[in-house]
Amino acid sequence: MSRSGGTGLAGAGAGPVSVMLRRVVLVDDHDLFRAGVRAGLGRTVDVVGEAGTVADAVPLIKELDPDVVLLDVHLPDGGGQAVIVQVAPERPGVKFLALSVSDAAEDVIGVIRAGARGYVTKAISGEELTDAVHRTADGDAVFSPRLAGFVLDAFRSGDPVADPDLDQLTAREREVLQLIARGYRYKEIAARLHLSSRTVESHVSAVLRKLQLSNRNELTRWAAERRLI
Amino acid sequence: MSSAGRFRLPLALPRVERAEDDRAIAGVCVGIARAVDVDVTFVRLSFAFLAFASGAGIVAYVGAWSLLPAPGETQPVRRRRIVGLVLIVWAAILALRGLGITESLLWPLALVGAGAVLLSGRTFGLDERRARLGAFALVVVGVVIFVGHNTRGTATTLLAPGAVAIALLLVLVPWAWRLTREREAERAARIRTEERADFAARVHDSVLQTLTLIQKQPADARKLARRQERELRAWLYPAGEPTAVGTVADAVESTAAEIEELYGARVEVVRTGDAPLDERLQALVLAGREAMANAARHAGVDEVSVFLDVGDGGVALYVRDRGAGFDPDAVAADRRGLADSIRGRMERVGGTAAIESVPGQGTEVELRLHA
Repeated sequence: MSRSGGTGLAGAGAGPVSVMLRRVVLVDDHDLFRAGVRAGLGRTVDVVGEAGTVADAVPLIKELDPDVVLLDVHLPDGGGQAVIVQVAPERPGVKFLALSVSDAAEDVIGVIRAGARGYVTKAISGEELTDAVHRTADGDAVFSPRLAGFVLDAFRSGDPVADPDLDQLTAREREVLQLIARGYRYKEIAARLHLSSRTVESHVSAVLRKLQLSNRNELTRWAAERRLI
Repeated sequence: MSSAGRFRLPLALPRVERAEDDRAIAGVCVGIARAVDVDVTFVRLSFAFLAFASGAGIVAYVGAWSLLPAPGETQPVRRRRIVGLVLIVWAAILALRGLGITESLLWPLALVGAGAVLLSGRTFGLDERRARLGAFALVVVGVVIFVGHNTRGTATTLLAPGAVAIALLLVLVPWAWRLTREREAERAARIRTEERADFAARVHDSVLQTLTLIQKQPADARKLARRQERELRAWLYPAGEPTAVGTVADAVESTAAEIEELYGARVEVVRTGDAPLDERLQALVLAGREAMANAARHAGVDEVSVFLDVGDGGVALYVRDRGAGFDPDAVAADRRGLADSIRGRMERVGGTAAIESVPGQGTEVELRLHA
């Protein structure tokens, strides 16, 4: 397992790569948490706005047109899903990354299917979150280990109720997801599988697309039954 | 609790709106047909047939026209509603007369019916006591008229007790109904209160205690907070927590919790699939425990990733850290943990253990049992 110096990853060991400054809006109903996130985000991320409710967030995001919205899954007046649904049609360029303490799979699946580019738990370190913001801004999918485990479970092969319409995961995609679940970062996965980081990212994006497009009630039902990712 | 069953009168009709499209005259028939989901021709024919009963159909149509809201309108103005109601009642009288039912039955029925509506909780702005009195008066007058009519003429006196019984039924049923509804609401409220109390007790016993402890022993804050988090999650998402005692996922989760308690590092468990715990899986979990403990003790990191993959091909458990790492070939003989507790244990149950570690980059232990 070798670790060659950096592509766009902000992880340890990444050299002085020139990184774009990303404009971010933070949506979370806990002031304390927002302050924590702001403090933890690296200098390559500029928090241009903050909101605590869906009603505040929607006009703010439309006005600021940020690169990335860090979105709490649970908001008092409707949840992250409502924000995405109201903003996305008008601001297709804005990308959403869901943040949550919730382990409820139905929440995760809901926000991903609404169009979030990824899902990370709030326990994530500032450094990793910074990295995730950049990846989201680049249009990549951001999978936390938990989300990866959850997707693997949802797409479990040989499932007796498997939907024939459902796009199954390819062997490679499954392999990538398993490595994410094991705690590997994209760059480490690339090194391990002798792929480029780009290729790893495109595999993850493909999985995200399958998750968003597969029109299976079963996925939702599964999530509701399971509750934990 | 789901919202305490809001109760609807059995008399409540589906919302009917006049239709603007497809209409022949005022859209009444189309509107009714849509509301009750039948073919519009059927509704039109009904009105047409009723028209033969002394023109009842026509009166009813005009009444409905006046009474029903136009599309988008919430309710027509008061005067229109009154006109509509009067017309519809008139139409009903015409129709019933057409069927040969005379006033002797009609008026008592109407009066008792109105009384029943009042009693069922629709007070039309009257206060409770007056509504009840009014209802009672209506029912009594209805019964008296009925009995009067039918005993005077050819009908037998036997009808009178029957009429009283029917009237009583009409009064008692809505009343009983309302009582049940009240009791249900009361029960829902009680359940809510109990839930709240349970919740408060829960928060007090766990969260508040932990917060107090953290203030007293700030050095242990991390460990305490993590333990609290686990407990709270287990309570909030019970269905998702380790399904049953005695499964491999359950064992891995509790092992992770144990390691967290012992060493203060965060152990993130991701898992797919589950299987009942047997001797071999027990060995896998114990080997995994050793790997987690090693990571928490020696790697110098505060997070350990654990992935349990239970599939058709077998069970795999990965324990990974991004810490100090070591050279597996140069492990001192005194580090018995790796050799005995991990490799030996796995080999004894026919499994494998692979250890991958690079100094400065971290370690991953992969434990595998084939099905």
